[in-house]
This record gives sequence, structure tokens and C-alpha cells, in this order.
Amino acid sequence: MKKKLAWILVLAMVLSVFAIGCGPKEEASEGGEDVVKVGALFPFTGSLALLGEESFRGVELAREEINKNGGIWGGKKIEFVKGDAVDAKAAVAEAERLITVEGCKVIVGSYSSSIVQAASEVAERNGVIYWETGGVAEAITTRGFKNLFRVCPSSSEYGTVAVNYTNDEIAPALNVSPKDLRIAIIYEDGVYGTSVSQASKKRADELGLNIVACEAYSAKAADLSSLVMKLKNAKPDVILATQYATDLMLFWRQARELGLKADAFIGTGGATANTEFVDAIGIEDTNGVMDCAFGSTGSNPEYAKGMDHVYALYSEKYGKNPTSIYPVVGYVGGTLLWETLELAGEMDPAKIREAALSLDKPEGSTATGWGVKFAGPDEPNAGQNLRAGNILDQWQDGELVVLYPEKARKPGTKAIIPLPSWSK
Amino acid sequence: MENIIQITVSGLLMGGIYAMIAMGLTLIFGVTGIVNFAHGEFLMVAMFATWGLNNVLGLDPYISIIIVVPLMFIIGMLVEKAMIQPIISAPHSMQIMATAGLSTVMANAALMIMQADYRSVVTSYGTKSLMLGGAMFNIPKVVGFVAAIILTSLFYLFFKYTYSGRAITATAQNMKAAKLMGVNIKNIYTLAFALGSACVGVAGVLIMPIYYVFPSIGTYFCTTAFVIVVLGGMGNLYGAFLGGLLIGVVEAYSGFLIAPVFKEVVYFIIFIIILVVRPSGLLGKTTRSS
Repeated sequence: MKKKLAWILVLAMVLSVFAIGCGPKEEASEGGEDVVKVGALFPFTGSLALLGEESFRGVELAREEINKNGGIWGGKKIEFVKGDAVDAKAAVAEAERLITVEGCKVIVGSYSSSIVQAASEVAERNGVIYWETGGVAEAITTRGFKNLFRVCPSSSEYGTVAVNYTNDEIAPALNVSPKDLRIAIIYEDGVYGTSVSQASKKRADELGLNIVACEAYSAKAADLSSLVMKLKNAKPDVILATQYATDLMLFWRQARELGLKADAFIGTGGATANTEFVDAIGIEDTNGVMDCAFGSTGSNPEYAKGMDHVYALYSEKYGKNPTSIYPVVGYVGGTLLWETLELAGEMDPAKIREAALSLDKPEGSTATGWGVKFAGPDEPNAGQNLRAGNILDQWQDGELVVLYPEKARKPGTKAIIPLPSWSK
Repeated sequence: MENIIQITVSGLLMGGIYAMIAMGLTLIFGVTGIVNFAHGEFLMVAMFATWGLNNVLGLDPYISIIIVVPLMFIIGMLVEKAMIQPIISAPHSMQIMATAGLSTVMANAALMIMQADYRSVVTSYGTKSLMLGGAMFNIPKVVGFVAAIILTSLFYLFFKYTYSGRAITATAQNMKAAKLMGVNIKNIYTLAFALGSACVGVAGVLIMPIYYVFPSIGTYFCTTAFVIVVLGGMGNLYGAFLGGLLIGVVEAYSGFLIAPVFKEVVYFIIFIIILVVRPSGLLGKTTRSS
């Protein structure tokens, strides 16, 4: 009896190790000298895995491309050592492993704000470069870290762009004074939701706008009907929402069920721009929904040069088009990192830092449309890419159409305001 | 007033869904004494099965119940025979490790096979609501609620009038005495575990029109289900039903009156208070003899 039990437990453990280990582990390298090891820290399993994996695919495509084109430093290939950051706790352990066991001098990551925040702490302590492509929380770059670089815009951008657009475009389109507009802010209660919504709130206060509700909720809630009812009572004209993918869909289903009405809905964060959202809610009921994110698949090709190239690489390797902007963001982050490493000339954090700070590209020079100029170590947001801006787009008949900024907008596009009422 | 009606309705309907999930868990515990930490993952499997049948064969979720529920019954049976039976008299810590390990394996296997994508079944009635007495009744949730009542009644009849049902009750009350009376304990354990799995199978099918499925969906419902099981009285089916409704309503009201972010805090406070006043839960009479 005891023996049998022991065997079963051993089997269960082996199986679980197999199941967890299978995803992230990468093949070992052949020619030790000719490779440059870079840590790739993303949530590959767990609830953040969907967009974590998508982000990783972006940097992976960038890696394959540079290796195909001869690598860096005259022929050295880049190799990833994967780390699976399921949550902040796992992120710390994995970052430590990448640095101390694998000897990585550069880590690229990580999609989720809470993961970056925890893991970059470890990197900073060990003098390792942390290269962030997708985590947006403002607080990540306000800690004065010397070795942290963030390619994507920070959360304050989202709030600012969304509120400015509400003030400058939505209010006039509805024929009301911005100050009479009733604004509701809802957000998931993690680092991501809190930081973005605080930025929205700050900007709205600066403009003297009327916030009628500001509600946090857990992204893991199985029921959001009480939130919907609260909003219904607050009667907002514009809803600004920072949400992850699952709670976004739950919210919309319950909003439709309970007949919540608003003239505009702006998702501040990016989940709203994923095609899964339209698949779940339907083309009709997503018509007119806006999203503010760090790039859009519906950008004018003149602005986001090279987005189609990333799409081609992606669909060639994975057999379908990306469902979100994250692979593009990862690709941009990856190519910029290779460029920085090439400039640095060797795997020395001090030289890499210097090289990163010397990058200077105008807006519109990457696949997301961003330029590149990192804030120096003495600035309040050290390591932040100052030329990464946000885009506001809208679902129109199942397609994303960019509304802001002007340069990213395709000619002839018109915004749908107000939001059409629910389909029957 | 309109708000009060709507919130009560939303809470009760959600409670019905919680109750369905908790019932299987409490049945398994009541009979075998095993806390099945993989219960949420069983729910996930049932949801994926429903999604798969809809996606591949175009079956309506409500029709696929005739396939998914027997399937979950068989899965439950196999898991019990392979994993639970050998550890049935092992220390609790070992049982916990085993079912928690199973949960991890199942979630990660699903992640490998199905990827982390969210999948939903689009039906014509998925978001349809009935307006009745000033409140919106979401149709799939009403179906879930009615199903929870039917399920509870069926279990009542089963336990009262069938041999197997009475044997299960007897085993739950006193395993040794039941054994002496000629009840095949091994089979009863298997049956209870399989029934519990079939129960969560029903829940998985019925929530598919309103939720989406992804590998870690289990954790979303599992904590609530555990609270309900303890609240209702460990192993008490009717307690699980009552506990489910209570948690649903408390959650809805605290979300509305205080803040959505505090609804879990509120129901845990109520949970603690009830346990202080009635340590064996709402309907639990005596503690289970081990």
C-alpha cells in the first residue's frame, strides 16, 4: 500500500515537472563561444500566459531574424535562456536563476507590470541590464534604476491620451461641454490597473472634468454584476476602463445583460484591442468601442513602418496573424536590444547602458511608430523611452481603426461617437 | 428599490452556479474524506469538453450535457481508482499533496494542449435576459439555477430511495459500520468521486454559454467553492446549496454597497463569523468521525 502510494506521488511529481518544464526550456547551445546568452523572462504559464507568450514570440522573431542575418559582433548568435515568471514571486526566483546560474548579463521581459517590478529589482541589485518591452506601470521607471530600460510607454501616457481625447474629441462630438461630461473610471486592482487609472484620474482632475465613479475590482472575480449596477446608477457618459482580457469580456457580457449605457467606452491598456474580445462579444456590440494602447494593428503603414514585416514573420512561423499588438511590441524591443548590444561591442552592463543612452531615433522609425530616446539616470523616469507614444483606436465592423494621433491615422477615417446601442 | 431587486436576483443566480460547483466537492469530501483540490480543474475539463463538442460537432452546450456528464463521471471514476484509492487511508497532508499535484498537472497539461487562449461558445441565448418584475434574468443563469435545484432534489431522492444512495449515506456516517453491514466501501468511494465529478460536469456545461474557458479558470471558482463547502457544513449537500446562494447574495450586495474590490473581504468576514458561531457550518450537525 505504502509503496504504491509512493510510486504514485513520484509519478505525479515527475509529470508536473514535465508539464511545467516542457514549455519554457530551450535547447542547449552547441558552440559555447559563438553565442551571446540573453535571459528571456516572461509568464509562459499561469493566467498571464496568453499575452506573455505573445510578447515572447515577438522577441523570438527578432532573435531569429538577427541570427539569420549573421548575429551581432561579426557573427555571434544570440541565444535565449527562458525563465517562466508565473507571478511576481516566481519572477524573482527565475531572475535570480538567470543571473547567478545561467550567467546572463541582460534580461529581456516581461509583459506584466508586477513581474517587471519584482524581477528588475533583482537585476538592478546584481548589476544586470533589464530590458522591458511591455510592462507599463509608471512606478517601474521612477525608482531611479541605472540598469533598467523600458522601450514601451508608461502608464501615465494611457490615462493622459484617453482623457485628452475625451476632452478634445468626444465632448465636442456629443455637443456637450467637457465639464458636463460624466466620466466613470473602472480598473482591475493590481499594479497595472491602479497605475493607469491613477494617471487618468490625475489628468481628468487637471482638466477639471467630472468623475462620477471610480471603482476597483479583482480581475479574478467570477461575477461583475455589482460593478455594472454601480455604474448604471452613476449614469456615466464616458467609461474609462483598465482591464485584463478575462475580466474585460466578463464585464461586457454582464454590461449587455444588465443594459448598461454609455456614449463612449475607452479601454486604457490594450486588452480591448485583442481580436479575442470581438470574437467573444461579437462584431456588432464591439462597434465603436475605443482602446488606448502602445500601438495599433490598424495604424497607417506610413507611421508604423515595418508592422507588415512583423506580421509576415509571425504568420510564417506560427501559421496565423497576431491577435494583439504584443508580438510587434516584443519585436521592436528585441531589435532595439540587438542594436544596443552591437553598439556596446561586448557583454558589459556599463557599455550596454552607455550604448542604450546614445540611441536617438525620431518618432515613426519603429514598427509600432515609436522613436527612441531613453531618459538618463538623473531624470525622474530613468530608463524610460521618452519617444514612445500611445495610440487611440476604435473597433469599426470588426476592424481596428486608429483615431489618434493624427500621424498614425489612415486618411478618411471617422470616429463612431456616440456608441451605438446594444444589438438585439 | 429596482436596484435591490436586481442585485438580489443577480446574487441568487450567481449563487446557483456556485452551489452547483460546490456540491460535487462537498459530496466527495462527505463520503471519502478527501478534499479534492483538483475540483476546479475538473470544471475546466468539462468546459473544454463542452467547447470542443460545440466547436467540432456544432453541438449546442445544453445538448452536449448528455456526453459531457457521463464523460466526467468516467474521468472521476478513473482518477479515483488510479490516484485516490491508494491514498484513502494515508495522512491528510499526503492526500492534499496528491490532489493539489493533480490540479497542477491538469492545468499545465491543458496549457500545453490548448494554449492559454480564451475560448467561448457563442449561442443565440448566451446574453439574452428576461425582464421580470423590474429585474433582468439572464437566461443561461436561470437555467443554471433551476439545474442546481433539480440536482439537489435528485440527490435527495437518490440518497433516500436507492440502495447505492443509502450505502453512500451510510458510508459517510460511519465507514466501519457500513462495511460490517456488507457495503462495498471501495465501490462506494469510487461512485461518490465519480458522482462528484459528474456534478461539476453539469456545472461546466451550464456555465459555458456565459463564461469562457482557459486553463486556469479553475482557480477563479475554486476558492469560492471551498468557502461554500465549509460554510454549508463539510459534506452536506443541502448546506452547499444554501451556502452557494448566501455567498452569491452577499457578494452582490457588498460589491454594490461597499465596493467591488471588497466583496471577498465581506464574504470572508461573514464566513468567519458563521464558523465562530457554528463551527460545523450552517447545516453540519456533527463533526465527521475519522
